[in-house]
Amino acid sequence: MSIFYGKLCSVILKQVFGKNVQSVAECLFDSISRSLSVIIKTTNLTRREATTALAILIKFRLVTFTPSVSGLIPEYSLNRDAINYILRYPRYVHLAQTKFGENGSSIVEELIRSGCLPASAVIIKCMNNYDNKVKPELYRDVFNTMVTENYLIRLPVPKAREEVVSEVCPTLSIEDYEVFLPPDLDLMELMNVQNGNMQHCRDHEIFWQINFERFHQDFRDQVMVSAVEKKLGASAGECFKFILKTMYTKTNPWQQSYSNPFTLAEVKHLIDKSSKNLELMKYLDQYVSLIAEDSLGFIRKTGDMGGGQFVVDFERSFEELAYTTVESIITEKFGSKASRIFRVIRMKKYIEQEDIQKEAMIPAKEAKLLAYSLVQEQFLQIKTIRKAGGGGAGPAKAFYLFQIKLRQIVKMLLDICYKALYNAITRTDFEKNENKRLIDKSQKLESIVDAMRERGDAEEYIEEIRETMTPPEREIMDNVKLRLKTLANAELALDETIFLFQMYLFHTAYRPPVKTK
Amino acid sequence: MSGRGTTSLTHEQLQALGCIGKDMPAVTSVVPPTFPPLLTKPVKKEITATQDFKILWKEAFLSNMRDSSYFTVPRTEKKDVQSYSDQIQNALEGSKDKSKAEFPWKLMPNELAPQWKKRKTQDPITVSKRKKARSENIVAHLKSLEDQDKSDEEPETAVKKNESDEEVEELLEEDEEMDDENDYGENYFDNGEAYNEEDDNLDDGPVY
Repeated sequence: MSIFYGKLCSVILKQVFGKNVQSVAECLFDSISRSLSVIIKTTNLTRREATTALAILIKFRLVTFTPSVSGLIPEYSLNRDAINYILRYPRYVHLAQTKFGENGSSIVEELIRSGCLPASAVIIKCMNNYDNKVKPELYRDVFNTMVTENYLIRLPVPKAREEVVSEVCPTLSIEDYEVFLPPDLDLMELMNVQNGNMQHCRDHEIFWQINFERFHQDFRDQVMVSAVEKKLGASAGECFKFILKTMYTKTNPWQQSYSNPFTLAEVKHLIDKSSKNLELMKYLDQYVSLIAEDSLGFIRKTGDMGGGQFVVDFERSFEELAYTTVESIITEKFGSKASRIFRVIRMKKYIEQEDIQKEAMIPAKEAKLLAYSLVQEQFLQIKTIRKAGGGGAGPAKAFYLFQIKLRQIVKMLLDICYKALYNAITRTDFEKNENKRLIDKSQKLESIVDAMRERGDAEEYIEEIRETMTPPEREIMDNVKLRLKTLANAELALDETIFLFQMYLFHTAYRPPVKTK
Repeated sequence: MSGRGTTSLTHEQLQALGCIGKDMPAVTSVVPPTFPPLLTKPVKKEITATQDFKILWKEAFLSNMRDSSYFTVPRTEKKDVQSYSDQIQNALEGSKDKSKAEFPWKLMPNELAPQWKKRKTQDPITVSKRKKARSENIVAHLKSLEDQDKSDEEPETAVKKNESDEEVEELLEEDEEMDDENDYGENYFDNGEAYNEEDDNLDDGPVY
């Protein structure tokens, strides 16, 4: 974890949960785990403030706890990766909306706002938000579908008293089959409890949370499908979607390197069943071989059984996507000629300075300057190969070869992304604080105008109310709004890049060789 | 992460790469500006309907969280000079209708729950004795009331005794409640601000 990631986590938590939670998280970020008394001493918060902050972090699954070595006190540790997920909340809601409609998105929204909730509480909150216009059975059905499709996950419950190991913190456990088991909800009970005490619900001790991994799996699929779509067309994109669907029936979604093999016949069977794209049905063989032969390398042929056996190569596909992203960053920063040099070095793996200018067809002076800039910014590395022998006076002769270490570059770029995100969030906060009075005024005006419109007041009166904001104020406000929107958009784009790099690092992580006896 | 431009090449490497000489710009040791001018202007990103939805949702989420009971800030310190606007601001903050935060205490360590008390394990014999004493008190109280009806001389003292017993019990209960506030960290932690404030009688010289 880098220092920039620490700063980013701190600023995200401050934005969402306030200063108390921020200081507790900062204290936990510095160490593996800490006890409550140490947290209180370090943060200078009162006991009540510190316990509330910890309870919030635990509720939002950002902190975990274990009994200390002595077993007398609990120790808390920060779930560092999960803090980053807060930035993806809008993406989770949007995905739920596209997949499960408004009801799905409001269920996800409620779970995001509360961290974790019992199923009945989620449904009651959703119904209250829409003034009971939507029937509870609709929410129940969507909730159950989301659980069966693994978008929601059940939290472990405390063990029975006899099995408890430590008195200081609860021992949580759950059976494997219960994790994605839909809740048994009684609608009559829900209606009765709607305005009463949640304690009366039979499931008030069973908590549910968003399954981030499942959402990330969909994001990963989206990245791959859109890449195929952009390069090979819409039908090829659809074809790849079905390939992934077939693959998931046989493979663990988070298999690291490549999937288990599947056959063309299986893909064809699935497309015949669920697609309406006639062109795809007709030329399926060609589309599959086109994707397999493309330089993207998303799928690889492994045999001829069942019309052709294939695997989805995650390692190669994310390496390819990471290379493309790095190339576009170089083009943005140093221009297209630098990007050409980068491509030449990638193609040749190791190359000398003089050969770069020849291969890239760039004047010697410019090639030298660009290569030097790329080395300085850590996009290129230099490998020194010393000649054997030599010795005596004078420097030993050596070859200096340029090379690319993608993993190193990706890690460096990830850090830059964290830094940029931190800057964007800090700038947003600054803009909001600087123009707080104007923003408040404009919000109040908008709410008054909306209320007047609902009442059906005349346009003249509405215009009069609007004029309470002077033209210079309006101009400043427009500029502020535009700046805030640009910053928010930049945050979203940065998160997408971070996600791609994280996927690359995950799928290309070092795996120790399996020892065979 | 190594910072920007921290990769340094040896003189030998630079010579081999042809980076030393009149081709290359002179090395400067001046600290680069905080906001250097951009060499190339980045392409402006278009905001699609999806992105617009995400931006608006995030804004609503943040304002929702800020008004929720999950948003915590440290207790404000009293300023030397209080302005009128501060009072209005505090009143506005106080008037916000924050729904009560609900926590699954059963899924958390006991020490985080607000009602948690670190009680000493009581001897069952003492508990039963205490219960017995209470029941005896009630019997005595009833007896005194009966006596009161009969004669007005002695009962007052008995009632007073019972009352004093109840007070002692109440005080004991209060004591237990006060234990909650007996936070070691809060009472004994020294942040060093009080340094030099008190005279520790060190200036008076040695005491024989």
